[in-house]
Amino acid sequence: MKGEQVTAPAAGEIPRITEKLFRHEAGKLVSMLTGIFGITRLQLAEDVVQDAMIRALQTWPYTGVPDNPSAWLMQTAKNRALDVIRREKFFHDKQPEIITSLEQWVPEEADPKFDDEIKDDRLRLIFACCHPLLPQDAQTALALKTLCGFSPGEIASAFLSTEVAVAKRLTRARQKIAELGIPFEIPAGQALTERLDGVMRVIYFLFNEGYSASTGDSVVREDLCFEAIRLASLLVAHPVADRPKLHALLALMFMNGARLSAREDRQGNILRLKDQDRSLWDKSMIGHGLLHLASAAQGGELSEFHLQAGIAACHCIAESDETTDWKRILGYYDQWSAISGSPVVTLNRAVALARVHGPEAGMGALETVLEKGELDSYYLLHAVMGDLEERLNHPKAAEDHFEKAIQLTGVKSEQAFLAKRLKDCRG
Amino acid sequence: MSKSQYLLLFRDTNWHRELSLNEIQEIMSRTNAWFEGLSQQGIMKAGQPLDGVGAEVSYQSGSVVDGPFTETKESVGGYILIEAASLEEAVAIARQNPMVPCGLKVEVRPVAEDCPASRLAKQKLFTVGA
Repeated sequence: MKGEQVTAPAAGEIPRITEKLFRHEAGKLVSMLTGIFGITRLQLAEDVVQDAMIRALQTWPYTGVPDNPSAWLMQTAKNRALDVIRREKFFHDKQPEIITSLEQWVPEEADPKFDDEIKDDRLRLIFACCHPLLPQDAQTALALKTLCGFSPGEIASAFLSTEVAVAKRLTRARQKIAELGIPFEIPAGQALTERLDGVMRVIYFLFNEGYSASTGDSVVREDLCFEAIRLASLLVAHPVADRPKLHALLALMFMNGARLSAREDRQGNILRLKDQDRSLWDKSMIGHGLLHLASAAQGGELSEFHLQAGIAACHCIAESDETTDWKRILGYYDQWSAISGSPVVTLNRAVALARVHGPEAGMGALETVLEKGELDSYYLLHAVMGDLEERLNHPKAAEDHFEKAIQLTGVKSEQAFLAKRLKDCRG
Repeated sequence: MSKSQYLLLFRDTNWHRELSLNEIQEIMSRTNAWFEGLSQQGIMKAGQPLDGVGAEVSYQSGSVVDGPFTETKESVGGYILIEAASLEEAVAIARQNPMVPCGLKVEVRPVAEDCPASRLAKQKLFTVGA
C-alpha cells in the first residue's frame, strides 16, 4: 500500500508465483488450524488463511517474495489467528489451550514429523466435510471450498447449479457441523466406509474440474488435477483407506492426467485424441496408473471408477488412434451407462459407439438424451452432434450444432476449436 | 481551489470470504495498481495496511479495561491519506477501490485543519524553547 515503495518484482510475476502456492497452501493451512481451533471454527480458519494470502498479495509486490513463502504464510496466518482469538470473549474456556498450541507451532518446512501431522489434518478435514449427516452436495461443496479454495461460482459450474444456491449450501453446512459437533477425525470401521465414498467423490470432482475447466482461457487446469492426485495418494497411504475403489480412482486420474500435456498445442489450441503427439504422454504416470489398476482389480467390486480407469487404460496402451481397442472401450461404456444413468455417460458412450458401429449408431444412442432434454445447454452434446452430423455428410445440421456449442462454452480455447470445426464445415 | 486532506479507512476485513483464490488475486492486483496510480498522481500522501486486530482499551464499570472489542469484520484493515478538492471528490476516489464491490467499506473522513491538541503541544514546545 505504501506509495513510495515502488520497487517491485515484475508486476505480472506475483500472480504466477502465488497461484499454485496458494492453491497448495490453503488446504494445508486451513486443515492445520482447524486441528487447533476445532472443526466448529472452520470459518475462522478459512478467514485467517485468506487474510494471510491477501497480506502476501499486498506486500510481496513491494518487498519481493520471501525465501520461504510457505513459512511466511503460516506465520502470518498464525499471528492473525492469535490476534482474533485473544479478543474473542465467548471462546474463553478453550482460549488458553488454543493460544498455547498456536504459539508452540513452529513452521518448519523440513520437519518430516510436522509434515505427517499436516497430512492427517487434511484428511481429517475431508472426512469431517463428508459427514453423512450433511447432504451429499453440501459435503462436496464444503470440501472444495475449504481444501481447494474454490469460490461458490466455480463450485456452481462444477455442479451445474447457481452461485447463490452454493453459497447458501456452504453456510448451512458450516452451521450444521458446529451444531452437530461433528468430530475432526478419521472415523473407523463401517463409518469410514460410508464416508470414504464422499471423500472419493470430492477428489473426483476436483480432478474433473481440472481436466475440463468450466471457465477461463484454457480447457485444462493442471494444478487441480495434480492436487486431486496428491490428495488421493495421501489417502491411499492410510491403511484404512487402501481399498480397490480408491486404487481405481487413482488409476483413472493417473492415466487421464498422463495425457494432459498433449491435449493442447503450443498456441493453446485443443487437439483431438487422434491428432495428439502420443510421445508427449507421461509414461511414468501411465505406469503408476497401470499399477493402481492392478490393485483395483483385487476384490469383486466394479465401480464407475473401475470402468473409467479401464477406458483410460485402453487409450494409454494404444499406439495410435487406429489401433485403439474401441470395442473394449464401448464394452466399458455399456457397463458404465448401465450403473450410472447419467446423460453425460450416455453422451460419451455414443462417441464410442460411433467409432465401432458408425456415426448413425452414435446419433441413435443420443435419442433418449434429446427426448429428455437434459443436456440441451451442455456444449459437449452439441459438439459431439456436430461431429456426427458432419461425418454423416449433413453439413448444415453440423453447422447449427457447432454454432450452438460455441455459444454454450465459457472456455476460450474450446470456442476457438469449435470455430475451426465450423469453418471446415462451411468448407 | 486549495486541496484538503481526507483519511480513507478500509473496513470489513471479510470482503474476501466468498471468493476463490483466483478471484482474490485478480482483485488484489487491480487494487495494487489503483494504489500505485493514486501515488503517482500525487493524490495519495500516505497509507499502510494494518496488522491484525490489535487491542482496544475502554472504560467500563469504573475502570480501564481491554475491550470490549468491535466485531472483527468491522475492524480497520488499512488506511490511506489523500488530497482532494472536496468531500465529494474524496468519496469519488474511495468508490474506485476495486475491493468495494466485494463488500469492503470505506470510511471517508476530512482531516480537520487545526487540531487543538497539537496546537497546544506546539505552544508548549515554543514556551519551553523560549
